[in-house]
Amino acid sequence: MNAMTQDTAVRTMSYAEAIREAMALAMEADPTVILMGEDIGVYGGAFQVTLDLVDRFGPDRVMDTPISELGGAGVAVGAALTGLKPIFEFQFSDFAMLAMEQIVNQAAKLRYMLGGEASVPVVFRMPSGSGTGAAAQHSQSIEAWFGHVPGLKVLQPSTPEDAKGMLLAALADPDPVMIFEHKLLYKTKGHVPAGHYLTPIGKAVVRRAGTSLTIVAGSIMLHRALEVADRLSADGVDAEVIDLRSIRPIDRDTILTSVRKTGRLMVVYEGVKAFGVGAEISAMVAESDAFDFLDAPIIRLGAADAPVPYNPDLERASVPQVDTIIAAARRLARREV
Amino acid sequence: MPVEVILPKVDMDMSHGTIAVWHVAEGDQVAKGAALFDIETDKAAMEVESPAAGRVHGITANPGDRVAVGTVVAMIYAEGEADGDIFLPPVVAPDPVIVAQRKEPEPAAVATAVSVGHRATPAARAAAREAGIDLADVVGTGPLGRIQRDDVTPPHQSGTQPVAAPAGWTVQPGPLHISHRKGTGTPLVLLHGFTADSQSWAPLEKALGPDQPLIRIDLPGHGRSPHRRVHSFSELSRMVVDAFDEATVSYDSVHLLGHSLGGALALAIADIRPRRAASLALIAPAGFGPELDAVALSGIIRATRVESLMPWLRRLTATPEGISDAYARVAMTGRSDPALRAVQASMADILFPDGVQAFDLRPAMTRLNLPASLIWGRQDHIIPWRHALAVECDIAISLLAGVGHIPQIECPDRVARILSRHFATAALSR
Repeated sequence: MNAMTQDTAVRTMSYAEAIREAMALAMEADPTVILMGEDIGVYGGAFQVTLDLVDRFGPDRVMDTPISELGGAGVAVGAALTGLKPIFEFQFSDFAMLAMEQIVNQAAKLRYMLGGEASVPVVFRMPSGSGTGAAAQHSQSIEAWFGHVPGLKVLQPSTPEDAKGMLLAALADPDPVMIFEHKLLYKTKGHVPAGHYLTPIGKAVVRRAGTSLTIVAGSIMLHRALEVADRLSADGVDAEVIDLRSIRPIDRDTILTSVRKTGRLMVVYEGVKAFGVGAEISAMVAESDAFDFLDAPIIRLGAADAPVPYNPDLERASVPQVDTIIAAARRLARREV
Repeated sequence: MPVEVILPKVDMDMSHGTIAVWHVAEGDQVAKGAALFDIETDKAAMEVESPAAGRVHGITANPGDRVAVGTVVAMIYAEGEADGDIFLPPVVAPDPVIVAQRKEPEPAAVATAVSVGHRATPAARAAAREAGIDLADVVGTGPLGRIQRDDVTPPHQSGTQPVAAPAGWTVQPGPLHISHRKGTGTPLVLLHGFTADSQSWAPLEKALGPDQPLIRIDLPGHGRSPHRRVHSFSELSRMVVDAFDEATVSYDSVHLLGHSLGGALALAIADIRPRRAASLALIAPAGFGPELDAVALSGIIRATRVESLMPWLRRLTATPEGISDAYARVAMTGRSDPALRAVQASMADILFPDGVQAFDLRPAMTRLNLPASLIWGRQDHIIPWRHALAVECDIAISLLAGVGHIPQIECPDRVARILSRHFATAALSR
């Protein structure tokens, strides 16, 4: 009875706190779980996500790594191959480019190249996204890059509840998982169940049911899409909003079911529009039986075809905002496209 | 990719335009914004500019051709672009006057898979395939005239509209919307007028009493029937006769009642299926002469709000007070779908080109050999009541003083009394 109450108890906490709680729970339950990354120990992490975990679990399990992403990620992949479950934090997801060899060529491929006899249960935490004034090299949304790599799983939690549940699901997964955490979401609060639970990998969720059009969005774009849907409902437009949650594997069924219902699709994402998540989803719909249900061209809203600008107004203008999403959704719903 | 030059929509209610003159010739080099051709509509003439710089190829419409809005009339190829053998559909619309006067029946409107060359969404194509509708018969209301799903099958089931048939009525599935009300005796088939729908019979139905069995038919492009494009009066008659056959399959014969355009169609049914009609009653029918108030008709078709609909509705009754605010609101609700307004605009253009009743049913009237009644308001502002005098056959004519174009709504009890005498006469003559 007590355990039940505790498991189903729902508290309010921030996205960063939910991630920290997931890491602490996992470390308490499993001595092979370790944390690695730059400044995650005494400093508490660039975004204060690990915070005091070094005090609770000691520097042997919360390891500060040198400023060498390739080296750090390589150690994490090696540790995972040999029995540990490392959670490696890239200070900014942009810096993962320095470790592409370890992520793409080693972690993602070793299970296949060793005939299924080895697995690499590493989790990469990827603080991402724009809106912090950190300019072109610290503001990117590169999740689609990794969506292109067989062997990786790529997740994008939009709520504190999912941030915790996805990290625990990633640790339970035998293969490498990358979790893109939006920097602007770290301080957002939400209900988070207590105890251990898993958010299923590869499952999108309908956050708002509707009939007029389907908006697929993830991470911070989900929150913008939900605000848009609320404002559109005043105009009699009833938008369905899907939280994508998982980029690889992608939840085909949830998206196609929704498109069959609404006949109108808009995909909103923060990565550069071209060759992005929206292209994959659009093509998936066009190739499926849901094609015959489309009653308007598909709309993709993504980032401008330029590095994220430093100027705050330009930075804001370079990625989809509530204003741009609502304008496009209105045109789609009013059949003007 | 070459850039399409389409016939633009320059008027709210424009479905076609006439190319007056081309300012460029095949193969000419044009700058973006250069004048390509002049377009003439009922109201205006205007110059159409080139949407891109390049060479003009594939001009498909000649001066004088009537072309549907959204049709590709030429292509602009950028420098170095090959002008391959792109497919361009034939663009010239049939001349409505000629169509209306044509004596020979046209080939039946066969539903085919010919959908290439039409701008239509996948959902519209799927709906057309399923319903066996040719996309050529559908008016597109989307951008650039794109056919959308609701253009093929009207959205009856959208939450805000009343969905189910009213109590006592059952809906018969079929290409047109047919509904039945049970009763005793010979059923009365009701054919409403242009821009109206079956709901407009409600006051008369009440006056006729609950025992009279009724069959309502919504005309194509009206009420709950599909928004099908109609190419001629004869095609329209054929569609309605088909619906009549399906609706009355379980009866030996039925009474026919039609109002305005529905009157012309009721007469057409009686002419084509004389043995199936026990009697014919016409209220202010179309087809008895060329005149009609085309301005009011196009005003009704164009209206998107109660405020713009109301002044034209007031022409329907003998005096402006005949139309209440509530009536106008209900009428506008029934006309809120832009696809319905677009298909009616296209129908007006075919049936009433240049504001003239282009079909003449007086010859059919002379062939009539069954009990018939004609009811006309003496203050009809839409179709002159004097058309009643053009009739050369044995028919009871009731001219109602102080009544306008819609006696069945203005004085339903009076019309019901006339009809009960008419039914009694029909019963005697059997």
